[in-house]
Amino acid sequence: MSKGEEKINLKKDLKTSLEERRKELEDAYFALLNILEDTEENRKEAEEGRDRTLAIINNFSDGILIFDKENKLSFMNPKAEEFFEMKAKEVIDKSISKLSEIPLFEAITNLLGKESKKIFRRELAFKKSLILEVTIVPLKKGEEEIGTLIVLHDITREKTIERIKTEFVSLSAHQLRTPLSAIKWTLRMLLDGDLGKLTKEQSEFLEKTYKSNERMIELINDLLNVTRIEEGRYIYQRIFCDFVEIVQSVIDSYKREIEKKNIKFEFKEPKKQLPRILIDEEKMKLVIENLLDNAIRYTFPGGKVTISTELLENEIEFKIEDTGMGISKDEQPRVFTKFFRGANAIRMDTEGSGLGLFVTKNIVEAHGGRIWFEAEERKGSTFYFTLPLTRPKME
Amino acid sequence: MPKILIIEDEEIITNLLQKKLEQEGYDVEVARDGEEGLRLIREIWPDLILLDIIVPKISGLWVMEEINKNPNLKRIPIIVISESGESFELKRARELGAKDWIIKTKFDLQQIINKVVQQIGR
Repeated sequence: MSKGEEKINLKKDLKTSLEERRKELEDAYFALLNILEDTEENRKEAEEGRDRTLAIINNFSDGILIFDKENKLSFMNPKAEEFFEMKAKEVIDKSISKLSEIPLFEAITNLLGKESKKIFRRELAFKKSLILEVTIVPLKKGEEEIGTLIVLHDITREKTIERIKTEFVSLSAHQLRTPLSAIKWTLRMLLDGDLGKLTKEQSEFLEKTYKSNERMIELINDLLNVTRIEEGRYIYQRIFCDFVEIVQSVIDSYKREIEKKNIKFEFKEPKKQLPRILIDEEKMKLVIENLLDNAIRYTFPGGKVTISTELLENEIEFKIEDTGMGISKDEQPRVFTKFFRGANAIRMDTEGSGLGLFVTKNIVEAHGGRIWFEAEERKGSTFYFTLPLTRPKME
Repeated sequence: MPKILIIEDEEIITNLLQKKLEQEGYDVEVARDGEEGLRLIREIWPDLILLDIIVPKISGLWVMEEINKNPNLKRIPIIVISESGESFELKRARELGAKDWIIKTKFDLQQIINKVVQQIGR
């Protein structure tokens, strides 16, 4: 190859490589332009997203407070401003200790002081006319804690309605019960012949009236108990009691009933003496009454009801067995639910609120015990419950 | 004749209790509210008080607190009458020295008489 030819080749090479580079650069330029365009779009989108989120938070019907990692208030939405009757700018960036000097904030900062890693809720009365459900949520980014979110939900209206409902139920129950006691006592006196001798027919009518009245009293008591359980206002007063004595006293009060119905009854007292246990006497009586009442009611004349109590390792077991109508298999899962009544039970006896076993289960469980049953239709039912042994605390 | 003071605002209840207790041979006085009750206690010095927890003017539990201030009055046995048998009501009554209690909807008159006899005899 001559020198001339070499030069030409070199020029050619240079030209192609230049051409290639230009093309590359051009590609890069367009790619960059595209990226820039995307970024701009992303930025716009992010901005829109942020505005949207902010709009949601600002127009949220719940109050929102956000504390940062250093426990300084970093955000407060308009609803929260309304609850606290102050502007965000007055309190933003203030620390918890500074905020706790503001009366309405104190309740919140008290809750925050309780260093919690989990979400928790609390109802707080801020003013007479403002009850808030405060939810505290630790904010996390992966494992790192980046602050705390506080949601303030206004439950003033719900609470007011709840209070009115409770007052209404207790008031009407009281109002209903008072005349029923008077009726009960009057009828009893008439029946006992204290107000003059009655004819057989008069006695029979009055006996039936007395029974209806008793059912009404039971129903009102049941309703009142259920209302209280549901509101968490069912108060227990535990004292050390002799369990067998309580069982015996309930059995005594049913003696007449058992004889009248012509069923056999047996109470197997425990082999070993039971230690005294910590229970609410009146409520425990109600448990045993409910179980015994059911057993008697749903056992046919000539049948048998057996009660036994036993001392187990850490608990006392109460067992009541009857040879009554039992409970059908498909109905068994619902036995302890409110208003449950077995189809066979309704056929036999139309009365009954279906609240007894619901109340019973609640009382047993509130004592730390368990309740269960075995039943077969037309063969009978056996209900069991346990109560944990509680020994007096040593000083 | 042993004297019994009934402090209770329900008229039918007091009428029935009074009649039944008088039939059993007791001397019965009735107060319609806590204020009248406290006055009658000091006036007639009953042998036993049947005290409804919810009565007008001064509640039954308050009446008991007043009685407890006077050691002589404190000796009079008290049977409280409760409408509902609320555990906390009964517990408070027991703490204040009630000897026994009656739950209106649960007890019959005869059982009440038995409780009275248990406390002061016939």
